[in-house]
Parts: sequence; C-alpha cells; structure tokens
Amino acid sequence: METLRQLLVGREISELSRVTHLLDEPEQLATAVGGVLPSAAARAHHAQLGEALAPAVERAVQRSIQKSPRTLTDILYPVFLPAIRKSIGEKIDQTFQSLNETLRHIFTWHGLKWRFESWRTGASFSEVVLKHSLVYRVEHVFLINRNSGLLIAHVTADNATSEDPQLISSMLSAIQDFVKDSFNEKEQSSLDTIRFGELRLWSEVGPFATLVAVIRGNPPEELHEIVRDVLLRIHDEFSQALEQFDGDSSQLIGVETQLQTCVELKQEDSNQGFPWLVVAAVLLILIPAGGWFFLSWQSGQRWQAYVSRLGTQPGIIVAEQKVRDGQFYIVGLRDPLAADPQALLSGTQVDPARVHSQWQFYQSLEPEFVLKRLTASLAPPDSVRLSIVNDRIVAEGEATATWINRARAAARQLSAGGPEFDISRVRDVSPEEREAERWQAYVSRLGTQPGIIVAEQKVRDGQFYIVGLRDPLAADPQALLSGTQVDPARVHSQWQFYQSLEPEFVLKRLMASLTPPKSVRLSIVEDRIVAEGEAPDTWIDRARAAARQLSAGGPEFDISKVRDVSPQARAAEHWQHYVSRLEAQPGIIVAQQTTRGGHFYISGLRDPLAADPQALLSGTQVDPARVHSQWQFYQSLDPKFVVKRLMASLTPPKSVQLSIVQDRIVVVGEAPAAWINRARAAAQQLSADGVALDVSQLRELSLAELNHLREAIQATDIFFYSGKAVPGPEQMPVLDRLADQLKEFAQNARKSGVTARFMLTGHSDATGRETANVSISAARAETVRALLNKRGVAPDLLLVRGAGTFEPAVPENSRTGSSTNRRVSVTINLE
Amino acid sequence: MQKKICMLGGFAVGKTSLVRRFVQSIFSDTYLTTVGVKIDKKSVALPDKTVDLILWDLAGEDDIGSFRVSNVRGATGLVLVVDGTRAATLAVALTLRERAEAEFGAMPFVLLFNKSDLADRWAISDSEINELRQLGWQIYLTSALSGENVDDAFRQLASMVTK
Ligand SMILES: Nc1nc2c(ncn2[C@@H]2O[C@H](COP(=O)(O)OP(=O)(O)OP(=O)(O)O)[C@@H](O)[C@H]2O)c(=O)[nH]1
Ligand SMILES: [Mg+2]
Repeated sequence: METLRQLLVGREISELSRVTHLLDEPEQLATAVGGVLPSAAARAHHAQLGEALAPAVERAVQRSIQKSPRTLTDILYPVFLPAIRKSIGEKIDQTFQSLNETLRHIFTWHGLKWRFESWRTGASFSEVVLKHSLVYRVEHVFLINRNSGLLIAHVTADNATSEDPQLISSMLSAIQDFVKDSFNEKEQSSLDTIRFGELRLWSEVGPFATLVAVIRGNPPEELHEIVRDVLLRIHDEFSQALEQFDGDSSQLIGVETQLQTCVELKQEDSNQGFPWLVVAAVLLILIPAGGWFFLSWQSGQRWQAYVSRLGTQPGIIVAEQKVRDGQFYIVGLRDPLAADPQALLSGTQVDPARVHSQWQFYQSLEPEFVLKRLTASLAPPDSVRLSIVNDRIVAEGEATATWINRARAAARQLSAGGPEFDISRVRDVSPEEREAERWQAYVSRLGTQPGIIVAEQKVRDGQFYIVGLRDPLAADPQALLSGTQVDPARVHSQWQFYQSLEPEFVLKRLMASLTPPKSVRLSIVEDRIVAEGEAPDTWIDRARAAARQLSAGGPEFDISKVRDVSPQARAAEHWQHYVSRLEAQPGIIVAQQTTRGGHFYISGLRDPLAADPQALLSGTQVDPARVHSQWQFYQSLDPKFVVKRLMASLTPPKSVQLSIVQDRIVVVGEAPAAWINRARAAAQQLSADGVALDVSQLRELSLAELNHLREAIQATDIFFYSGKAVPGPEQMPVLDRLADQLKEFAQNARKSGVTARFMLTGHSDATGRETANVSISAARAETVRALLNKRGVAPDLLLVRGAGTFEPAVPENSRTGSSTNRRVSVTINLE
Repeated sequence: MQKKICMLGGFAVGKTSLVRRFVQSIFSDTYLTTVGVKIDKKSVALPDKTVDLILWDLAGEDDIGSFRVSNVRGATGLVLVVDGTRAATLAVALTLRERAEAEFGAMPFVLLFNKSDLADRWAISDSEINELRQLGWQIYLTSALSGENVDDAFRQLASMVTK
C-alpha cells in the first residue's frame, strides 16, 4: 500500500513538504515573496493598491522627516523652488503696483477724498487707492487640458461675448507651445500674461490643466492668487478625471461651479459720496468761536499801529491816547499842511466810529512845512526847483527878474527863527533869450543829419528862418522839431530837394531801383558799395549799368564779387560737387563723367560694400532723372573693405579679432586649427593682390585634454532596425552614455571660449528607394536629437542631417543591406 | 466629446484646402502657405454620439528637421495628406507620422491621396496604393476641389478616434 502510494503521489508529497517548509521558514518565505513583489505590485488593481499602501507610505514619510528632514527637502526642492520664486516675484509686483497707484493719487482731489476714507475706515491709504483705481471684471474663464489644448470647461460673466470657446482654447495652447519652443523656455515656466488693449489673459498652469482668465480692465496682482487657488481646488477634487481626460467632459460637470467663483470677481467704480454734511456742521461751530477771539486781539494791535504811525508824521504831535471799553481816545497838535489824521485812519481797518480825537492847529517850522508854505505863496515858474539841503531851503534854475525879487523878500521874512532860504542859484532869464537858445540847438542838430545841408538861417522879431538842401530819403526837418520846444508856427523853412551822394543814400536808392535777388547782399565797405553773392546774368548786367552811371562823382559800386549763376551753371556746379563727393568715397572709382544737353553721364567702378552712388545723390540738388550712370562692380582692396569681406566669408569665432594697423590687416586671438588654416589660405590669396593679412599672431585653441573625449564621441554610433526611425531598446544605454559625454564636452569647450556643436548624421542602408532612404535617415537623426534632448543635451547644440546611403560605414552587400549602415553618427564642430 | 486631430503632410499638398472643404464646403485655387498653426472645428454626428473635431492644420514641411512635433502633443488622430501628383510627398507624410509616433506613441490615422481630380498628372501607381492597403491602413483618394471622399475620410477618422 505504502509502496503504491509512493508510486502514485510520491512526487506531490515531497513537493508539498518542500512548500510547507518554505512557508514555515520566515527567511525563505521573505526571499520567495521578494522575488515576485515588484511584478505583483505592477499587476495589482491601481486604486486598491493605492488604498492599501497609503497608510504605510504616510507613516514612512513621517518617520523619514523625523529622522532627517533634509532628505525630503532635497527631494522636493526642485518642485518648490519655481513656485516660491514665482510667488516672491508676484509679491514684488504687487508692492510696486500699490506704490505706483499711491504716488499717482497722492496730490489729487481724489487723493484727499481717499485719505479721508482711509482715516474713516481704518484701512491703509494704499489699500483704499487700489480699491478705487483697479477697476476690472473677469469676463471669461477657460479650463484647458494641458496635453491636448482641448477645452474642459468655460464660464462667462453676464453679457460678455466671445468666439467659439473650443477654438479659443486650442489657439491659446498653440500660442503657449509656440512661445515655449521659440524661446527655449523650460517646462515649468509658461506664458502667464497676454494683453490685447483693454483685455488681459492670465493663465495659471497646473499639472493637468491650465486655467485662463480673460479680464477687462486693470486687475490687482492678488487676483493671481485667487485664480491659482481655484485651479488648485479643481485639481484636488477632480485629479483623476483631469488626468484621464480624453475630450469627454461628462466626468467634470462640477468644475463649472468652481470656475463660476472666478467670473464673479470684479471691482466696479464705486461712487460713494463725500460726507459734506458732517464737515459743514463742524465748520459752523468752529468758525464763530475762533473768529471772536481773533478779532478782539487784532483790533487792539491795529490801534497801536495807527498811533505809532501818527507819531512819525511830520507836523503832528500826539499828546495823549488811551483805549477804554473798545473805544479809542487821542489828543494832540497838528500843522494845517500835515497829513489829515482822519485820512490816515482809512486803510488801517480801525473802525472810525470808535475813534474820538481832539487836534489843535499850529505852524510847524520844520523845513518841509516851510517849503510847502513857500511853494504856495511864491508860485515859482516851472524852470525853478525848490529843495531841502541840510535843513536849508534851496532854489535853483532860471526865473524872470520880478519873481527873483519876490523870493528875496520872503527870504528876509523867514530869517527870524525859521530855516534859511537860499536863492543865490537862480539865474535871471527873459523868455526871448531862452527861445533863441533852443533854436540854435535845433539848427545844429539839423547840421549833423546826413542828407541835409543848411545854407542859411536867422532869427528876426521872434520868427525863425531857415534855407537849405535835403535828400528825399533823409530825415524830415519838420519831424525833428517836435521835442525841441521851438514853436513850429514861428518857423519858416525852405528846402530844395537834391540827391545826396553819401554812400548810405546811394545804397538805399540802389536797393529801390535794382531790387537785388535774395542771394545778393549789398553793404558799405570804406565808403564803397559792395555787392556779394550769386545772381542771374540779367541782373548783373543791370547792376553794371548802374555802376557806370554812378562813376561820375558818386561812391564806387563794386559788383566783382557777384557770381553769375544762371540755372545751367548752377546745375553744373551741383554736379561737380556730387562728382567730387563720389571721388572721395572709399570703394568708388570714377572713370569718366560728362555733361551734355543738360544731362549728366558718369561711369566707373564700385565695390558692392561701398556707399550706393544713387543714395549719395540725395541732398546734392542734382535731378536724379537726368543722371545716367554705369557702374561696374569690382572688389576694392582698401583694407576696410577687405575686412568686411573677411568677416562675411570667414565668420571668425568670438575669440578672434580683426583690426587694421597701418594698412595691414592683423588677426589676433585663439581659434580652432581648422579655422586658422582657412585664415592662412585667405592670407595667401590676398597677398597675391598686394593686401597684407597678418595671421602670425593667431594661436591654436588648446583643447588637447578633450581629444580623448572627442574621439570617444565620434566613434559612437546608434543603430536601427530595418525601416525604423526609432532605435531599439538595446540602444538606450549607448544613448545615455553619449548624452553624458556630449554634455561634458560642451561644458569644457565653453570654458575654453568655443561653442561645440554636434552634427547628428542619419544613415540608411541601400534597400528601397533613395527618396525614402533620405527621409528615413533624416528622421533617424531627428529622433536621436529628441532622445538626446530628453537626456538633457541643449537642443541648440544638436544639428541634424540625413545622408541617406551616401556615406556608408561599410561597403554594402546589396542583397541584404547592412545593419551596420543603419545608424546615426556624431561629429563635432567647434566654433 | 472633443478630439484633437492633426493634419500632416508636405507643403502645398492641400491640407488647408481639405480642412476648408470639410468645414466650410468651399475651395479656392489660390495658394496661401500656412505659417505656424491654423485651428478649425467641425462637429461630426456619428450613429451613437456627436464628436467635435478640433483640426490643427500645421504648416507643411518637406524638411523634417524644422517640423514642430510639439504641436502634435495630445492629438488622438492624424490625417496624413499626400499630393497624388508628386510621388515624393508620400515619403514625407510617412516620415512625419514616424516622428509623431516616436514622440507620442501610435495613434489612429487616415492616409489621403489628394488632388484626385488631376488624373492626367497622377504619379502614384495603383499597385503601390494596394500594397499599403494590405497593411490594413485606411486610404482615400480625395479632391478638395470636387469634394470627393473628403467627408468620408474625416468621418472614418472620427469613428476611429472615438472607439
Ligand atoms: N486641383 C486641385 N488643387 C488642389 C487640391 N487641394 C489643394 N489644391 C491646391 O494646391 C495648392 C496648395 O493647397 P493648400 O491647401 O494651401 O496646401 P497646404 O498643404 O495647406 O500647404 P502649406 O500650408 O504650405 O503646407 C493650392 O493652390 C490649392 O488650390 C485639389 O484637391 N485639387
Ligand atoms: Mg496650409
């Protein structure tokens, strides 16, 4: 029986005991489960596995933080840093915005109103300013799938309109992609503000969806935070549905209510009234009380000012003054000629009704009062001036004998006690004498006038007679009378006209008769009349005739300095000017030029880099329509041009400088060997033309330590299966290593001042048609570029070309095609 | 339900014209090359549902190097367009598809041989087309000028991307 059992199930029994043994031994069990755990986890239902692992993972993270917070910080650092940076940036923007607004409003009427509001509500001034000046409304909100640009949800404010939201959403994401591609932006950052006039588009980017708010007006920076919060909440609530979004929004119905909170955001121009009533009431109470105190103090001050002013008045003596019960009393003496105390009150704002004054008259002997009394009693003529000199009264001037006698009598009377009256300086003059004096002054003035010749003059019986010659262009003798105090009615004059030959009159007459053109200037030089400038020949003929006429006795008229410019002559001059300008241009050689029948012909050589002869015409006043030019291009050997050409043809690296030293072109700096060879070849070529290009100071870039790395890179090939543009998985380690080498090489090259670029050349085998081969080879290079880019090699360092079958690695055995030739190779270019 | 579809093909093969024919039912023979991306939308009613096709008409590139793959991100289907009068545009369309799939994985597509009205200048042999059909590909001979097969091709793709 036992034997039978052994025979039938012996194998199972031993198997069973092995398994039992395995389950009992924890060591062995652990090893066995460990072997299958990863693939078991991969196969488990995602949601359930997540549920099961969540508590354990949470505890593990907690422990890890307790043990060493650094580890987790390091892991999360790259995630937090951009967010922190962005939020700091916004905070700064926010501060600036509030500062700007505050400054703008600080001195306006609004500013005062808002200060009052800030005082009333206890909010800071800048908050109040922002509240009023940032008027905006969120009109649309789009929630856009980040991956495909498809619209997830869209909400509009009341009465805002827009084009098809689905189209807009796709276009927005196309723009975002475009910006990211064009400016090589990193994945994290994105275009977050677009402006179209009044409208602003603000976008917030989340892991799965982008939220775009369309805002009209001037929103505050805090709005960014609000919008970001909404986006965060949406991601929290719908993260799974968002991640799996495939164009079907039915899973995301609730999103719209969240978006609704965004479009309700607005700040409209609030129009709160200013509290006029409160202010008016306060003013009504304050004004009368203050006013009363102020007025009573002020009226006392004014009275004192009035009294001390009276004290300083000559001819007024204040004996007594006092103030009682708001009334003012004053007693004193005054000269009748002194200022009237009553009149002095006006302008002092002291109320005259409350002033009670008592004045006694007396005669003051102060000199100014005596002077006034003398002026009243003696009535001196206009020609006499009375004044006070050191307390004496002095009379000066001219007067008739009778007046002098009366003055002398008054002086005697005053001598008893009063001030002295001195009349010794008054000259005795009768009217006739004075008039004759004035007439003589007038006549001598006439004598000095150019163009007037006085022949005879005399005075008889109070009448004045004068005879002479005058030029019609000279001053009018009648007009000269005014201001001389000679009575015109008593002047009898007889003037003969004549033509004065004094240069200034001749000049005036020439100006009137010849009417010279603007380009001619006439002037007087040492009694000669000189004409200078340009004029047509007809005018010059007329001027010459006039000069001949003048030659008999008149001043010389010199027209030798007027150039003859008839239009043709002028045009020819302009043309010559243009030609000489051309000749002075480097890189332009004028071979021939003529003028014929009003047309200009020119031929010559020009360097393509020289100034354009056509462009040089502008500003020369030569009519381009009449210029016929024929230019042959040539290469100028002027060093300046040679340098320009070299810059274009050799494209020297940044580390090299070209300069001109004494007609030689000197190249200095460091460059890759290949470039130095090209420069040498150019130097040889140029020396045949007689231009010296000195390359002796060029040094080869020392990249010796990189040679090893360069060889390793250039020996690397990525291989492909037949007809495939994507390399097989076994090539991934090769790509990983290549990416590291490229990065290291690029970095080291940059340190030595050169840019290394890597040319990825795709190749294909010879099976199939050549066009297909070329495009698959290009596609292979493209794919490798994308794969290297994913591994962190900067895309602008990677160049791509497809060589098709033209550059096989091994000669092709045409039947099977060669797997060695289906590859992408790498070569390094240094710039 | 919305789906993003990309039009891929060499330059001047008729991508823009096909979209215009399909969306607005018009054709014009003046050629204005597309710069960057042009986006259009058309709703297609299928037996069981309605799909909004968001059509991204990309600039045609014969030089694969300047092709902007990023525009294809998130697309669920491709319309590959070949100009039936220029044989070389077939290789271009296929290479573009390979590039897109290398970046974003395989996705449904239809292959259109366009300008079928220009029979006298036709440059693709029937045997070549049949060979491709053998691979199980959806292939149409279309004309944006006459409208032939244009609706059918887009409808076919619409039903493929909603499966
Ligand atoms: N006869 C004919 N001409 C067509 C057809 N489709 C397009 N064309 C013409 O082909 C030219 C190019 O058409 P487009 O639609 O602009 O080509 P595209 O592929 O968008 O070109 P790009 O935007 O430059 O890549 C235009 O002149 C069209 O009129 C067609 O079916 N038949
Ligand atoms: Mg187009």
